[in-house]
Amino acid sequence: MGFEKFLFYLFALITLWAAGMVVSRRNPVHAVLFLVLAFVSSAALWILMEAEFLGIVLILVYVGAVMVLFLFVVMMLDVDIAALRAGFIDYLPLGLLIAGIMAIEIFLIVGPANFGLHAFPAPAPAGTDLNNTRELGLLLYTVYVYPVEIASVILLVAIIAAIRLTLRRRPDNKYVDPARQVRVKKGPDRIRLVKMASETPVPVVAPALEKESDE
Amino acid sequence: MLDNYLPILIFILVGILVGVGPLALGYLLGPRRPDQDKNAPYECGFEAFETARLKFDVRYYLVAILFILFDLEIAFLFPWAVVLDELGVFAFWAMVVFLGILVVGFFYEWKKGALEWE
Repeated sequence: MGFEKFLFYLFALITLWAAGMVVSRRNPVHAVLFLVLAFVSSAALWILMEAEFLGIVLILVYVGAVMVLFLFVVMMLDVDIAALRAGFIDYLPLGLLIAGIMAIEIFLIVGPANFGLHAFPAPAPAGTDLNNTRELGLLLYTVYVYPVEIASVILLVAIIAAIRLTLRRRPDNKYVDPARQVRVKKGPDRIRLVKMASETPVPVVAPALEKESDE
Repeated sequence: MLDNYLPILIFILVGILVGVGPLALGYLLGPRRPDQDKNAPYECGFEAFETARLKFDVRYYLVAILFILFDLEIAFLFPWAVVLDELGVFAFWAMVVFLGILVVGFFYEWKKGALEWE
């Protein structure tokens, strides 16, 4: 138990330190990388709490996909850091006050009074042969089937929303459609002969001569 | 259960050592004589033309967001694949409905042209 406790404090310290660095870094890319570290160490904390599958998913989904998107967004935004930092000192007292109030509120709600060890005693540690993913699947696809289907509807809504918000066509874009390109057959598709009456020579008039002299 | 993860912890420690060790050795043992030109950023030998923060096309985000959504779907597939043998037909059809709803979204993005790049 002693070593586990040591690991808990180690990863908790890393998480807190990384979270502090996220809000204090000047460079937003560095802040996002520290957020990745915070996620990885909280995944380690979840695994310590024997929520293995959630820990792996946290790394797979958040670190693998969401944070890459964050990094993407942050790298592409041209944020003017100096403009954002203007007035930092002016807002500092109010910000500290609100942060202090929020910290007290959080402590009162999720503090030891409501969520202490007497309210939620630590469950007995599972054996080494318990498969967390299997247990999760057994619950997810029997008792919680309906929420799972709702989750897929939420994902569907997210797909449609993302497309509606960001997809825009540029009508002035000219591009080659490879499907139509390969469908071209030898002969009439490639060259089209047009029959037309022969041109009669244009009678030379004065304005045309003027134009030529201009050039 | 946590005993299973001891090798992974050791693996992480060795990984950190391999990653940080050479950097630390280079920092400690190598000569360091920085000057202004060495520290300056460069673009293939030129002076930097402009800042790296450029506005990119929003379609990059669209591809990334769609990737994340289908990545989340994978998180539901893993426990399902593990217990499919035990739960049998019911779990199978539950996943068919789940994937069916998402396939609607997939067809939507296909037909809308969200997967096209022009």
